[in-house]
Amino acid sequence: MAAEEGQVVSVHTVDAWNEQLQKGNDTKKLMVVDFTASWCGPCRFIAPFLSELAKKLPNVIFVKIDVDELKSVAQDWAVEAMPTFMFLKEGKIVDKVVGARKEELQQTVAKHVATASA
Amino acid sequence: MALSGFEGFEKRLELHFFGDDPKNVGLGLRLLDFETLDEQILQAVQCTVVSAVANHYFDAYVLSESSLFVYPTKIIIKTCGTTQLLKSVAPLLHHASSLGLTLTSCRYTRGNFIFPAAQPFPHDSFQNEVVYLEDSLPDSLCYRKASVMPSKTPSHSWHVFSASTEATSYPLNGDVMYTIEICMTELDRDLARSFFQRPGSGKNGDTAGKEMTEITGIGEIIPGALICDFAFDPCGYSMNGIDGDRHSTIHVTPEDGFSYASYECVGSVYDCDDVVRVLKRVFKVFRPATMSVSTTCASHEVWTLVAGALEPLGMKCRSCAVDEFPAAGNVVYQTFTTHRNK
Repeated sequence: MAAEEGQVVSVHTVDAWNEQLQKGNDTKKLMVVDFTASWCGPCRFIAPFLSELAKKLPNVIFVKIDVDELKSVAQDWAVEAMPTFMFLKEGKIVDKVVGARKEELQQTVAKHVATASA
Repeated sequence: MALSGFEGFEKRLELHFFGDDPKNVGLGLRLLDFETLDEQILQAVQCTVVSAVANHYFDAYVLSESSLFVYPTKIIIKTCGTTQLLKSVAPLLHHASSLGLTLTSCRYTRGNFIFPAAQPFPHDSFQNEVVYLEDSLPDSLCYRKASVMPSKTPSHSWHVFSASTEATSYPLNGDVMYTIEICMTELDRDLARSFFQRPGSGKNGDTAGKEMTEITGIGEIIPGALICDFAFDPCGYSMNGIDGDRHSTIHVTPEDGFSYASYECVGSVYDCDDVVRVLKRVFKVFRPATMSVSTTCASHEVWTLVAGALEPLGMKCRSCAVDEFPAAGNVVYQTFTTHRNK
């Protein structure tokens, strides 16, 4: 588990996804889920920035989901545009950023990290 | 050059490709890796990506100076300021060919620069632009035409260059698509003020952009579209809209004296009633003193609706020029001014 800290964890199966969700629930940590696609140029644009954020914030769980690989999850969460970042706390969506928007992403993470530690 | 301000008028390039490699054709140009796009194509033009979004049909990028849309077999780049847009053609064709794609048509359009003397080669004259384009294109695009479509407003004219491997355009899948490009100058001063960031608001380019989209009514122009917006510091605004396989885009230079806004969208002639609604909404966001509307379409349904949409809002049609271009079809260029102006 510790090895995953500071990294963006790619989940490839529904089981692995449920495991991450459970982990988010148990630890009550902020979870940032990046819905991405291999063919999405904007996703490749934001990927290095997301990795940097993950490195700086080991207390936030960063998860990456390929919308083609886990179609059912993307559908359940009504993801239509890529990248979509869902912010979860204890399994509930607390915020959403649609698009590769560095400043908004950073600010939204900061906002929820602040409330989590308050 | 002392009196030069920011050049709002964009240069716009649209390239269409054909691919016969079934492995690549589904994604086509979208397979260009981001580094290639960024380092070899956008750098040639002197642009960087500020925000971006994609859906299943295409990728949409807001650039430091305008927009880029990447579809599997089509790419549209629109840049303003003193960018050298046409320098992107050669690297684009090179990378497209490495993906098994060959160019079938090319269309370059722009309005009249407000500060023509500030433009670097080849954008210092339309003649140079045409020569540069002709040299960049393969011989297979043998049907070529360049024309400057005039208006009665001296500051507005429409420069069009089009080249194609075919003499005429055939609508794909029976659906006839149109493109509308609107250029607006002398924006209403109060409305233009919304595109300045308030000092000390604590907002960044993304959040300030989002706020501008909401308060100006831009968010309601095409209600179903997802908008990727960005506000520049201290002023200026860009957005790309994505709605299924259709894009739209707005760019605003709000400074008094050379204020400018552009709007572009695509649609199908089968729902051209949308055109009227869109034109009215766009007008109300900016209330410009002068407005040019260029429609590009294989058929005639769309351009005839333009005057009917704008005249009830107090605009008067001053000119209408029609010309036909290879692959593009009919380009109709109409200009409008407020009644109070001559």
